[in-house]
Amino acid sequence: MDSNLQLMLYLIPTIVGLLLVLPLGRSIVTPFTERYTSLATERGRIFFGLIITCIAGAAVSFQTLWISSKISEGGNFCSSNAVFSCDDVIGNAEYNVDPILGLPWGGIGAVVFCILLYLVYSSSKEPNADWVTLHVKLGALITFSGFFVIGLLVYYEIQMEKICQYCSTAHLANIAAFIGFFRLMRMNDSSAWNES
Amino acid sequence: MKYTYDDEADARTTALIRVMALFFVGIMIIAATTSPISTGTKEGERAPALEGKSYNGSGWSDFNLESYWDPMWEEGDITGQWVAIEFMDTDCPYCFNDAAQKISQFAYDFGGSNAEWDGAMVNFIASVAELNIDGHDSSRSEIIAFRNKIADSGETCNQQDCGSRQGSAHNFPYIDDLDLDNMKKWKVSGTPSYYLIQPDGIIAWSSVENQGESLSDAILTLVPRESA
Repeated sequence: MDSNLQLMLYLIPTIVGLLLVLPLGRSIVTPFTERYTSLATERGRIFFGLIITCIAGAAVSFQTLWISSKISEGGNFCSSNAVFSCDDVIGNAEYNVDPILGLPWGGIGAVVFCILLYLVYSSSKEPNADWVTLHVKLGALITFSGFFVIGLLVYYEIQMEKICQYCSTAHLANIAAFIGFFRLMRMNDSSAWNES
Repeated sequence: MKYTYDDEADARTTALIRVMALFFVGIMIIAATTSPISTGTKEGERAPALEGKSYNGSGWSDFNLESYWDPMWEEGDITGQWVAIEFMDTDCPYCFNDAAQKISQFAYDFGGSNAEWDGAMVNFIASVAELNIDGHDSSRSEIIAFRNKIADSGETCNQQDCGSRQGSAHNFPYIDDLDLDNMKKWKVSGTPSYYLIQPDGIIAWSSVENQGESLSDAILTLVPRESA
């Protein structure tokens, strides 16, 4: 399968998740609220959007880790002479691991998105449990920290004059997740949390 | 109003099990479908980038080590081209004398000019550093004088005329690493240091890990030959 077509498997759910966590998500899900009642509430929509986003983020991170492993074997996956060439970015031994522990960025992304998925999934199952506030705040904190990592990785891309479309999808998932967690955090502090 | 749940086994456990299952499935798929090789300068690792401008006899141009690699190469394939890299300094006495003599001979023996050599071709590359030692000032014109063995060029290598170095003039690329970027990246501690790299970009031999063994012995042992 073409690598850019394969990217759509992750990009489309990420964009859907982003739309759902935004206030305009209400108008998008209106036709489905009778069948899927949880989508009728703002909280339900954000939880659903966040779960989709986190699954897509984890999946694209796993794919990124897979690509970096394949490149290290000498293969290629999405190499291109154009600006969009994830092989050039993910395959760059200088930049494809974190500068402190030397862990691959794809692996870090997979772990982080799985943690976020755990935080949001458990919270959605018991939204009125006392630990939900902590989970939502942790989610917001982790995704906010992700902005610094995104900044660093974008800086690397500028250095290389290449853009990794798979990495950018993971960055978009982090942005969507931050919006979702931030909105949940605000809602959790107000009476809107239990509005039907 | 919020409600507090006090259940012993709450949603956190179920969520954790499911997310961990997802995570491990992802890891297992990657483990089953890939066999990653780390990048480094030890034997068995993938050679890191070697960058800079190189002089090939006609002018300075961008050098790309990766252009030598053939990812489809398989062990024993005689058509693949190997790469031998020498990290050197034009002012290092050993590089100027014995090493210059030997590398001239090796480049002739294994670089495609010797009809008696029936093994895979070995491409030679020199990465020229300017070590932080008094008297080791270098320049691109000094690199050219050393490589081409130009007599009376006015350039001084190892406190002598560059043209008086041992060995013959070289026809392989010399990379300008006067800023020591490549030496640092490859963690080379001294000159001369040698690396022999397979056609697929994996380091097969390094002088650092094989003290006392010469580059020619490594080539004779590791590079496949028709007669072998």
